This record gives sequence, C-alpha cells and structure tokens, in this order.
Amino acid sequence: MFLYVLKRLLQSVVTILLVVTIVFLLLRLLPTDYYFTEDELMKLTEQQKHDRLQAAGFLDHPLTQLVRFYKQLFTEFDLGTSRRIQANQPVISVIGSKFEVSMRLGLISLGISLVLGVCFGVLQARYKDGIFDHLGTAYTVFVNAVPSLVTYSLVLAFGARVLGLPSMYSMRKPELSSILPVVCLSIGSIAGYMLWTRRYMVDELNKDYIRLAKLKGMSTRSVMYRHVLKNAFVPLAQYLPYSILLTVGGSLLVERFFSVPGMGPLLTDAIARYDTTVVQGVVMLYATLGILGVFLGDVLMTLIDPRIHLGKKGGTR
Amino acid sequence: MEKTVSELEQPIVDLEVDRSAVDKNTTTKYSRGRVHVHARAQMPEKQLFSFAEYEAKAAEYTGSSEYSYWKSVWRSFLKKRAAVGMFIIFLLLFLFTFVAAAIGKYDVFNLRIDNSLMFTSPNSEFWFGTDNLGRDYWSQVWHATRTSIILAVSVSFGQIFVGVVIGLVWGYVRKLDRFFTELYNLIDNIPVIIYMTLIALMIGKTTLVMGAAMIGFGWLGTARNIRNLVFMYRDREYNLASRCLGTSLWRILYRNILPYMVSVIILRLALAIPGTIAYETTLTYLGLMDISTPSLGILLRNARSYFLDYPYLLIFPAVIVSIITITFYLVGNAFSDACDPRNHV
Amino acid sequence: MKKVLALVLTLAMLLSLAFVSTASAAEITDLRTYETTAREMETWNIHSSQLANDLNVLCNLIDGLLTNDAHGALVGNAAKEWYTEDGGKTWTFVLNDGMKWVDKDGNEKADVVAEDWVTGLEWVLNFSKNGASNTSMPIEMIVGAADYYEYTKYLAETYQRIVDDGVTVPDELRKYIDPSCFDTTVFKEMVGIATPDEKTIVYTCTDELSYFPSVATYNCLYPLSAKLIEEVGVEGYQGITWENLWYSGPYTVTSYVHQNEKILTANPNYWNADNIKRFNTVTIKMVESQDVAYNLFQTGELDHVTLTQSTLSTIYASESHEFHNNLSEARPTKYSYQIHLVYDKNNEDGTKDTNWNTAIANEAFRLSWYYGLDLTPYLARTNAINPLACQNFVYTGNAVSVNGSGVDYTQMVRDELGLQYSNETYARVDAEKAAAYKAQAMEELTAKGVTFPVEIDYYIQGNSQTAKDSADTLAQVFSDCLGDDYVKLNILTYVSSPTNEVRIPQLASIYINGWGADFADPINFLGQETYGEDNAYYSMNYSMINNATDEDLIATYTEFTQMVNDAKAITDDQDARYAAFAKAEAYFLNHALAIPCNYEVAWELTCINPYSKVYSAYGIQAYRYVNWETNDAIYTTDEVAALAEAYNSAE
Repeated sequence: MFLYVLKRLLQSVVTILLVVTIVFLLLRLLPTDYYFTEDELMKLTEQQKHDRLQAAGFLDHPLTQLVRFYKQLFTEFDLGTSRRIQANQPVISVIGSKFEVSMRLGLISLGISLVLGVCFGVLQARYKDGIFDHLGTAYTVFVNAVPSLVTYSLVLAFGARVLGLPSMYSMRKPELSSILPVVCLSIGSIAGYMLWTRRYMVDELNKDYIRLAKLKGMSTRSVMYRHVLKNAFVPLAQYLPYSILLTVGGSLLVERFFSVPGMGPLLTDAIARYDTTVVQGVVMLYATLGILGVFLGDVLMTLIDPRIHLGKKGGTR
Repeated sequence: MEKTVSELEQPIVDLEVDRSAVDKNTTTKYSRGRVHVHARAQMPEKQLFSFAEYEAKAAEYTGSSEYSYWKSVWRSFLKKRAAVGMFIIFLLLFLFTFVAAAIGKYDVFNLRIDNSLMFTSPNSEFWFGTDNLGRDYWSQVWHATRTSIILAVSVSFGQIFVGVVIGLVWGYVRKLDRFFTELYNLIDNIPVIIYMTLIALMIGKTTLVMGAAMIGFGWLGTARNIRNLVFMYRDREYNLASRCLGTSLWRILYRNILPYMVSVIILRLALAIPGTIAYETTLTYLGLMDISTPSLGILLRNARSYFLDYPYLLIFPAVIVSIITITFYLVGNAFSDACDPRNHV
Repeated sequence: MKKVLALVLTLAMLLSLAFVSTASAAEITDLRTYETTAREMETWNIHSSQLANDLNVLCNLIDGLLTNDAHGALVGNAAKEWYTEDGGKTWTFVLNDGMKWVDKDGNEKADVVAEDWVTGLEWVLNFSKNGASNTSMPIEMIVGAADYYEYTKYLAETYQRIVDDGVTVPDELRKYIDPSCFDTTVFKEMVGIATPDEKTIVYTCTDELSYFPSVATYNCLYPLSAKLIEEVGVEGYQGITWENLWYSGPYTVTSYVHQNEKILTANPNYWNADNIKRFNTVTIKMVESQDVAYNLFQTGELDHVTLTQSTLSTIYASESHEFHNNLSEARPTKYSYQIHLVYDKNNEDGTKDTNWNTAIANEAFRLSWYYGLDLTPYLARTNAINPLACQNFVYTGNAVSVNGSGVDYTQMVRDELGLQYSNETYARVDAEKAAAYKAQAMEELTAKGVTFPVEIDYYIQGNSQTAKDSADTLAQVFSDCLGDDYVKLNILTYVSSPTNEVRIPQLASIYINGWGADFADPINFLGQETYGEDNAYYSMNYSMINNATDEDLIATYTEFTQMVNDAKAITDDQDARYAAFAKAEAYFLNHALAIPCNYEVAWELTCINPYSKVYSAYGIQAYRYVNWETNDAIYTTDEVAALAEAYNSAE
C-alpha cells in the first residue's frame, strides 16, 4: 500500500508538470497580437508591439521560455509575474489573495449541502414513493430544470429586493453578505447529493443481502444506517476529497454575480486578457488539487470498502 | 461490523452469478416460475396439484426463453405513466417546433426590427410578445428550441457513448488503468474553458465545432463514473469464472459488466441532455458560442437582463427548458428502474 | 450634573445635525460609485498604464501638471502657470508651492519637486523600466525622446546578451550598461527637458506645438519621485501596489479588494485642500453588470447608475414609477463614431473583392449612402428614448478644440457643411439626392461590370448580443434606405480579435469605430485619414486607401491631404488654423470618404450634477472626483435640464 501511494504521488508530480507544459505550449500557439488590448492594437505601431513583446520575453522560442519558466520555478519557487490581471505582481500573491475567500465560501456551502443533501437523500430512499420522496424529487428536478444562470438571477432578485440582503459580497462584513452566494452555491450541490444518495441507496435497497437482513428481522433503522447507507456512501465518498479541495477553485458564475473576490473568475479573466503567467499558475494549482483529490478519493474508497483493492494485482488481465 | 458485511456479501455474489451470467437455463427456470405463479391464480385446485407425467423429452428440453431483457425493460417502463406521458409531451414539443414555424405569423429569418414595438407583452399578434428590438418572440423561441434539442441530444449521446466505452475498458483492463488515469488527469486538470477558448479561437466557434468539443471533453465524467463501478464488479467470482472459461474481453464487458451499469448510464444520459443545455448557456455567457442562430441558452442569457421588467422573456424559454429537463429526469429514472431485472418479476 | 449636561449637549448636537440635514439639499460627503468587473484595474503604476480602468482611479492619486475643468478648458494642477515664448517650441511650467508626496495613510514622504517630472519621463522612455508603454506621444513631441528610447533599448538588448552568456557584470560597471540602473544624468543630456530651478520645468518640442499643454494632462508626463524608486527599487515600482505607492493627489487609497471594492480617502496632507471640493471617501464597487448596479442603486447603496435598455423603457413607460421623474440624459462620451469605408477589401480566399472595391471608389455610390442612410433606428440602439441626441454629422469629436470666440470646432465644421442638429429630423438625409445618386451609381457601376446588390461585409464580435442587435438594426437601415436591389449588408463575426481576424486579412467592407482624441487639436482626427502618410492610422490600417487604384478617388484624397497639411502649417493663428481644418473636414465629408455615424449618449439616475464633472475629449482627467456638485436626493429630469441650461449659458 505504502509503495503504491508513493508511486502514485510520483506519477502525480509528473502529470502536473505535463499539464503545465501542455498549457504553456498551447498558450504559445496563440498569435502574439492577442497579447495586446484592442486599444493598444489600435494605437501601437508594429515596432512598438515588437518592443513590448521583446521586453516581456515573448519573442523567444517557446522551448526557451519553457526552460526559463521551469528554472525559475525550481530554483526560486517563482511562477513569474502577472502581465495584466494585477500587472507585475507575483502570480503567487495574485492567487494567494483570492483562494481564501473562495475556500471559505466553498467549504461552508459544501458542509451545508453534504449534510442536507445526504440527509434528504436518505429520507427519500427510506420513504420511497412517499410524500417526502416526491417533494425531494420535485426539488431536484426544479434545480436541474432551471439553468443556473436563471436560478442565480432569481436568488439575487429575491434576496436583495424582498429580503433586503446585500447583493454584493463585502470583505468588511462578510457574514451577512455571504448568505446569498452560499445559498447559490448550495442549491445545486444539495440537489446533486440528494439525487445520488437516493439513487445509490435505492440500488442498494434492492439487493438481496438487504432483503435477507430484513427477513432475518433486523430493524429497518439498523438496516438503513448500518448497511445501506454505508454501502451507498462508498461511491459518494470517492468524490469527497476532490470536492473539498476544489472549493479553492471557487465558482465562476456565483463569484461573478456577487462580486466575490475569489478564484472563480480568475482563470477566465486571465484567459480573456491573455495573462499567460496567471493561466499557468492557476492551471498548476487546479491540476495539483484535482490529482490530489482523485488520489485521496481512491484511498478513502479503499478504506471504507475493504472489497476494493487499488494496489494489489488482482486476477484481471 | 465489517465482518457482517462480508458475510452477507458471499450469498449475493452467488445469486448474482445465477442471474447475470446470463445462463440460459437459469433464466428459463425463472420465467417458468413466473408463469406458474400467474397460472396458479386461475387454475382450479385440482389441476394445481396434479402429478406431472414424466417425459424424457420434456426433461431434455432447454429451448429459448420467452424472457427478453429489453422487452421487459420496455414493458416496465410503459407502466410508469408520468414518465411516458412526459416523453410523449416532449416528442410533441419537438414536433411542434416545426409546426410552430409554419403557423406563426413571422418568419424567424425575416424579423423586422421596430423600436416602437419593443417589449410588447404577449398578445394576439405576438403570441409570445416581442424582444428588446420589437421582434416577434414566438418564432425565435421555437426555432431556438429545435436548435437546442438537436444539439443537446446529439452531444449527450456522443458524450455518453464515448464515456461508457472508455470507462468500461479503463475500469476492466488493469494494464490500461494507468494510461487512462493519466489521460484523464491530463485532460481533466486543464480547465475545459482553456480548451474551449483555444478551439474557439483557432478553429472557430460554429455550433458544429463547439458541439464536437463538448463531446470531446464531456465524456470524462461518465468514463470515470463507469470505471469506478467496474472496479466494484470486475473482481467478482463470476467474472473470474468467465475469464477462466476464456470469454473474450468485449463479451465480458458487454454481457457481465455492462448490465449492472445500464441504470446509471441511462440516468447519466437523461441528465446530460438538460446539462448540455445549461452548459451551452454558460458557454454563451462566456462568449464561446456562436450567436448567429438563436438557441435556448442564448435566449436565456439575453432574458437575464430583462426578466425583472419583462418576465415573459424569461418564462417561455425557461418553461421549455424545464419541460425538457423534467422529461429526461423522469424518463431517466423510470428507465433506469426498468433496467433493473429484479423489477421485471 | 455632568451627566445631564453631557446629555443635553449631545441632544443639542443631534438636533442641530438633524436640522442641517433636512434644511437644504445636502451634498454627499461619501460618494458611492461603481464599475463593472470587466473594468477592474490592472496596475497601480501610472507610467506604464494605458488603460482607462487604471487611469480613472490613478488620476485622483497623483497630480499631473495640468487638468481640465467642466467645460474642457485646461486649468493648472501641479503647475500654477505655463507659457511659451517662442510660438510653441519650448514650453515652461511653473509648479505650485507646498506639494508633498505622502503614503497611503497621509504620512509625509518627500516634497514634490521639478526633478520628479524628469524622473517620470526618464522612466517612461527607458525601455528596461517601462517596456515601451506610453512612449508614443513623448517620442513624437519631445526633442531627443526617440533617441533616448532607442539608446536604452539597444543597451538593454546588449546587456541581456551579456547576461545570457553567463558574464557577471560588476555593479560599478552595470550602472553604465544596464538601463534599468540608469539615473537621469544621460537622460537630461539627450532629451529636451530641463529644470532651471526646483519649481520650473521646461520642455523642448520637436516642432512648434501649440497644443503641447494638453499633453501635460497625460500620464506620460506625470511625476515620479526618485526617492520612491530608492525605497522600492525599479522592480518594486514596476509592480507597485496601492500599499506602497506614494500619493500627491486629492485622494489616497485606504482599502482595495481586487474585483470587489476600493476606497479612496481624502488625502489629509493635500496641498490644495482649501481650494477644491472633495468627498471624504469615494467607494468604488465592482459589480457584475448594470443590472446589479441598478439593484444596488434601488437599495440606496450607490449614488448613480447608468440604465440598461429594459430598465430605462420600464421607467419611461410607467408614469407612476418611483424614478419616472428622475431620468436624465448623460453627457456624450468622448468618442466620435464613424462608418469607415474600406477601399481595398479582400475576399475570404485572399483575392481582391473587385465588386466592392470598384463600387466604393465611385463617388455617387458613396454619396447615395451619405444622403440616403437615415440612421435614426440605429441611434435608438444607444438611446431608445431620444435617438437624435446621438446624431453625429462631423468627423472630429466634441470638445476637442474651441476657438478664440468660444465656438466649438465641430460647430465650425457643421457651418461649413450647412448641416445643423435638430431634435425633430435627421437633417443629413435627402431622399431626392440619394435616389439621384443611386441611379447615377447604378448606371456608372453597371458599365464597369459591378453586379448588384453590392455585398457589404460587416464584422461584429461573435459573443456580443448587443453588437448583434445593433448590426441587425443596421442591416435593416441599409435595406430600408438604400433598397435590397442596391446593397446587402452581411453580418459576420469574429471570435476574439478584430485586428487579427478581420483587419489584417482586410475582410470587412465597413467598420464602425469610435475615435477619442489624444490632445486638443483637430489634426488628431483628420491626421488619421490622410493619403500616403505613414502615421495616418485609419488610412494605413482600416480604409487602406493607399492601395486604391481609382484615379478620381486618389485625386479627392490627395486634395484633402493637401488641405489638412496646409491647415497644420498654420501655427501662429489658432482661429485661422481651426477654420482651415474645418474646410478640410467639410471637403472630406462632402465627398463621403467616411460617413459620420453617432455619439454615445446614455440615460442615468444620478445624485451627481453631470455638468460639474471634468469634461474633456482627451486626456485622463475625466474621473477626478474633484469639485463635483451632488445632491442627497436623486436629481429630477427638470433639475438636470436646468443644470444643463446653466452650463450651456456659462460657456
């Protein structure tokens, strides 16, 4: 197991470096004019453009740039400086100033949706085809039916106009102004956890060992919680570390809507402004978190369900 | 605690070998049993308990089963009235998009801009009102519906098909696990938005290109889901048995493993269709979709800035999206329940 | 006893406060304004910034030599007087006394001295320090600037090569060959800037430039304290943040959260605090869209909001709406929009689009557009209620130049054209003339083998619904006014960069672009359209007139270019100069070499008197939160109209 973990971790590092390299080179495929704003393109002469690119080091061969990038990364742990998002600021500080907010909102909402989602999902499965099941289904259907852009607009309009909640996130009074963003973040994921909890539980309930357990006279309660939930939770648990880590990534739409100064819009903003260093930094962060998340998920799954073996060579070909 | 689980585990596996290894004899036994149960209700008691005569021929008789998996699935599905009803409504809705263009008073490709008519509420002339330029909304909504349904259905089928095939191989063939995990990591860890932007910039963002791109990056979730489920089943004894008997890889995947996944696949497919529409809305919001032909995503995005003042601009497309979503949710759940052979009895 | 006294006093204070706030229309002391998140600042380094997003904030933090007033006239800021003694070749600026650099909390750091302008300009022109940002205007206008820039660029390249070869350069040598270590010694020898004393700066221009003072409002001529560079280093200033920036303007930044909020606080050590009116704080909130801003305005969290089309039409349509009587028309933005015609267009496969090129070279064809296109529906896209407020019949922007008798230059052009703005009709349209020109064009062009309808390729941004709606409207205008048998507008899209995808391959037939002024002279506009000159931006990059082959067209353009150059040569008499430019511009428009399109005039709800803000067609001063008149209640439509009238009569 330990060797397996070590191997996977080493592989992960390779993957992350590969990901960053690919993104780095992909970004270098873009025509260099994309590095300028339309305003600049309007007023700069070819010579000026050439000079600015040269000053920023974009005219070197992509591989030379890549080597320089890695050299900087490994010797000084430096991801370079942002070009336009926060000009000439170290990428690390650009990201550092943002991920905390995203993570806080994300974790709160994850906690809420996990608790509510799994509870409601269990109740739905427990009283399958009852009123609660139908209500829950209606909610899931509603959330999925209405595109999130519309849901958020509705939450914003209702929360701000009717309840008088702040429609804009404020760093100075985060408690009250976090409410609407957290609600928006949770609405969808509660539905997600409900849906899959119910699905896995119902699948499990139909299995013969549960029938057997019931026939043996075990109480419904104990069957539900000791066997069904535990088994149904295995596939859910796998995504848990991933979800926790990815809260750092924030949510693009929600953070845009409520002006949350988080990670969510950073990537698209950086892409839109061709801020290559920030794109590389953010991608590297996402890749690290993503790979770590999947890995931890696998480990968690083996811990919860002893039938699953990751490292051991099984009888498969 | 854990011991209990594994003790309980043993018999299940045996039972499931019986059922899912698709051994003709066992299946036959099952369906005969079912006929017998049905018959019992109608037969007089005398007949019920009469001795059967021994016939050597009949004892040898194996024959093909009258049980057909898909027929049973279909039969169980038809029992779900709500799902069937919604599905019919959805089909009618899709057909209606063609009719609507014909019966509407305005042609979507020839709409006149008239500022004096902007934001007209629905009336007898403009059945769905007019948009911010005074153009008929009816023709736009129905045209958008057709575009979106075609896009969503093709993208979702593409995603799920690619996802299932890759997921099965990924999960089952241990040697390939490493390769696919790395591939998955590579693709999944570079935010899709980068690929989408680059594709839009370098190839273009016609509906065809973006649709293909959505398939190209959308199979990951399904593949991973399937892979994890395969993990749970691949080392079961009946698969070991199959392998020992020299069953080919594809046959094991198709016959032994896939049937477990049908319900999940169907559910994923059903959710992928509204998901695609929502995704399209987001892409439109980010400026990565072609806006020359109206789609529901585009109408919704536009309506967002007007809906507080003119709710009808949001309501019509939103209701249609909701109908599509609810249909596929209900159909997906009903179908995935129907796919479970235990519900066939 | 003491307690009672305290209570009484407190009550009295509260009462008096209440009295004051209800007695008269109080002014806002803490302004709350907004920007959309797409317009977040990118840098705090005013010398390298070329973006309005940054400069709208930065112009409040550091004082440049000059600024503009509400009528667009130049007024002193850091400089109390400025003059030329040789017709515009050298310009002298004399600084005010008592100006200080302070940190964000208002603690004094250093005095503002003339040398700071030298340090600032050196920074801008030093390739290693500023990476070629903001160099255009100084290089063009100040003696020696180009040489210094090229010199530092050459040294920077050489130095980089040496370093790449692995040579370690000792520090005492480095300060001679690495431009990022340069002080101002060499710079002062090479470039036309001098500081005879601590309070005087003298610029030497490349030519007699009567409009040079308008450049002194720009960030390329902003000061920079050498002591700040000492404190943070060259790299530190390149990536300066609000926390370690030095301020000399009316405000300092006291709080900043990227993509969320920034708070400017009145600079406690401001030299001119007694003579100008400031807010105590200015809070700038970053919002996702105008709709969110409107929400915030309704809940009383903002002091002004620009209205979107749907909110505007709702408020306008409903008499009982709470804001119905508060709608006010904003002032036009500084951009003058033109339909630019392309004289050398390619097909998508790279071949010449001869059909279009032949047609557009024909004067009757162009004039049929000029007289035929009633753009009112298109104008309604920017201003649905009062479209004609956006009408534009001239090429140059408003408030760029004003002649000696206070007449705006654009008015002089309109007089030449004989076209005046009217609130009832779109005066340029003349259906008879248009029909006649159309018949003439069809006859002449058919003879040359042009097939009708002539296809017009018009490119818009692919993801912008607003652009799509506008383009649809435009297509309908073309079809209604000129006829489907004559022209056909094709709407095509680009993904990200119009330059790369459309302009360089020369795929468009027309562009609709706005041009904002850089300095106070019509040459800034007309100079972009001349024939055969390298720095004529539109000719070189958009209209591609230099590739045209039609002799009549070239003759017209040559004539126009001659007129512009003649006007440009008049440097001693401002009025005569403007009159000559007006003639040239009228010639340009009468031959429909480009077709004036629109201004941008939006609607807003506001507690700020729009006529008290800095209003200028050029420069970076428009967002200085200085001397603004405000009202704690929203201005009504009538009040704004009265303010507008007072403003116009004061002109």
